[in-house]
Amino acid sequence: MDFNYTPAETEFRMSLRRWLDEALPGGWGDTVFEPEDEDERAQFRLRWDRQLHSGGWSGINWPKEYGGRGATLIERAIFAEEMARARAPEGINIIGHNLAGPTILRYGTEAQKKRFLPKIISSAEVWCQGFSEPNAGSDLASVRTKATRQGDKFIVSGQKVWTSFAQYSQWCFALVRTDPDAPKHKGLSFLLIDMQSPGITIRPLRQISGESEFNETFFDDVEVPAENVVGEINDGWRIAMTTLAYERGPEDALGRQIRFQQELDKLLETAASLPAGGGRVIDDAVLRQRLGRSITEVQLMRLNSLRSFSKYASGAERGPDASVLKLYWSHAAQRLYETALDALGPEAPLAGQDPRAAAAGRFQLSYLQSKAFTIYSGSSEIQRNIIGERVLGLPR
Amino acid sequence: MNFAFDEEQKKLGEAVERLLADFPRLADPDPANAREKGVWDALAELGLFALLPPESQGGLGLSLVDAALPVEALGAGLAPLSVAATLAATDVISQFGTPAQQNAWLPAIASGEMRISAAISEAGAGYGLSDIKTRIGSGKLTGTKILVPDAEDASHFLVLARLDPKPALAIVAKNSNGLSIRAHEDIDPSSGLCELNFKEVALNDSAIIASEAAAQRHQDVSATIYAGLQIGIAARMLATAVDYARMRVQFGQQIGAFQAIKHRCADMAVMLEAGRSAAYYAFWAAAEDAPDRSLASSMAKAYCGEAARDSCNETIQIHGGMGFTWELGLHRHLRRAKILEHSFGGCAWHYERVLAATLAEIRSVKSKQRSAA
Repeated sequence: MDFNYTPAETEFRMSLRRWLDEALPGGWGDTVFEPEDEDERAQFRLRWDRQLHSGGWSGINWPKEYGGRGATLIERAIFAEEMARARAPEGINIIGHNLAGPTILRYGTEAQKKRFLPKIISSAEVWCQGFSEPNAGSDLASVRTKATRQGDKFIVSGQKVWTSFAQYSQWCFALVRTDPDAPKHKGLSFLLIDMQSPGITIRPLRQISGESEFNETFFDDVEVPAENVVGEINDGWRIAMTTLAYERGPEDALGRQIRFQQELDKLLETAASLPAGGGRVIDDAVLRQRLGRSITEVQLMRLNSLRSFSKYASGAERGPDASVLKLYWSHAAQRLYETALDALGPEAPLAGQDPRAAAAGRFQLSYLQSKAFTIYSGSSEIQRNIIGERVLGLPR
Repeated sequence: MNFAFDEEQKKLGEAVERLLADFPRLADPDPANAREKGVWDALAELGLFALLPPESQGGLGLSLVDAALPVEALGAGLAPLSVAATLAATDVISQFGTPAQQNAWLPAIASGEMRISAAISEAGAGYGLSDIKTRIGSGKLTGTKILVPDAEDASHFLVLARLDPKPALAIVAKNSNGLSIRAHEDIDPSSGLCELNFKEVALNDSAIIASEAAAQRHQDVSATIYAGLQIGIAARMLATAVDYARMRVQFGQQIGAFQAIKHRCADMAVMLEAGRSAAYYAFWAAAEDAPDRSLASSMAKAYCGEAARDSCNETIQIHGGMGFTWELGLHRHLRRAKILEHSFGGCAWHYERVLAATLAEIRSVKSKQRSAA
């Protein structure tokens, strides 16, 4: 056990730090922010993804032969820390980088790796995820979108939902039913679908936060080449579980942890300066307890992630243990935002541009967004089933 | 960067776990029966007390990180608390003792001859170092300590006291003139908690570690070791709950198949793993004397205290009526968890310390930024 970094790891960190200093616009995070308009923001994030790639900071721990940097998982963790330290923008191609790429690397054919990975790394192609359906949410294995084999292609028909960034994506990986007669987990395949294909319709869905990151995606007799199946036909469930282990894994958790840390620091500054009655918000003993616990919990998200990175770096398979990470951070983060709004007192509802809003109205949107944390990438109830059955060995 | 234990470290933890399993009375439903005399000698023979002293003093010169998994096993196995207290005393003597003190004490600790309990708490003084009234003056120690674990079995006490007027530590033999001991009546008789009255106990300078930094380190390291014990309890409770949920049948099926039970177990597992992250990091921060040593110890002690408490509560609940029986013995872990929770700072005290330290850090960063600008 050692939390010190090797000279090589430190050099990696410093060289990224130098690059970020150059790459980010002056005043970034203080006076210069992301565009407020959603579409402009998406384009801004896409440009940032591509800028990272041209600087050599994309596909950090992917093999060099597919355009990656060939760095270690620990350096991947350092990357997440430094991006956050610089308050760097998020990318738009998160699903490509964190889900599609690792799944293709793990189960794809050589031809698939060569075709898809370099364009994920360069963000020439942005990805979305076609798993959930209106009648297959927590019960994911009951997806009905069917893919019927016709010669060297599949004809795909059905509806996916909660497809984040579909409107910006060139590709979608989807869980589709290839054998309607097999038991429900046994008739699924993992299919890569070109979003330019005829027959695809995207309809935005508005979220609690008022934003429209996610969509309904309709497939009407969409033709997909049979070579776009990842792994064996009808073995898609197993592959999708790997994808979900990546989605719930330490790369994702650490990236988020750093955002939460920034919000928490801002919250502490706000609470220490905001007047309340004759004193300051921070004087309240109950609030102090909740803040002390949130500071601890945000730090533990980081330490949980580092433990997972170390475990996977030494060769352990990714599996149901990722659900422990996800269940932990999602609830801890929700508590943080509940505490944030409580701390603001009577002005808590004032948001955005209102001149009376505390901390420039930043916590209200985050609070609303946080409601999704315990639902997406598997609801907390599903995570608890997975932990109970597959980590602890309780009966189904 | 590597947040994992190596094979040797894991083996050490497993060895302590196996050793304690050879003393089934440690987990006897009646806490009064749980005071196994042979455990101390067996742990000494295993080499547990030789872990921390340097090789020149008859030890192995290992670090607190090497002690983390053994400590977790001590917690799970309800080992005598003087074992943990002796490890914390060893650390502070190794770090702050004079060469003469180290020569006098460390070889005797390594061999298991010195059994050092911790005399820290005082009635009405809370958890901080600042309200301690026991004092050292004119070569005499005077004051009253409460909640001293295993006092009857200890050979020595590490005493927190004031010395002109700063906190300091003293090592006092149990057979010193002027020291009287009274057993408490309390919720966990297996902890052997006693009140100690020091009435002008003669004290040589050679018995005193006159350093406020030593007292602070002792508190941090003790809190970290107790967090490790608490995580051991949480782990043992989860394993017990899962075993029972797989075996117990109601409504025609194993109760572990019900989500009402399964989800409680999953939440315990999440808390346990987060608690491990907190405790293990605190052991490392203490071993390295990292700048965030105190902060890490507070995070660990607060969070692991909650994890141990919640795990005991949930496990009793999952066992239903059996869980509330004396005979099943789950109350042993509950009782021990309460003793641990209220030693070396309770959850609320440590969360407040986490907040205060973090606010101070933010202020210091701000003022540095201002002076740079």
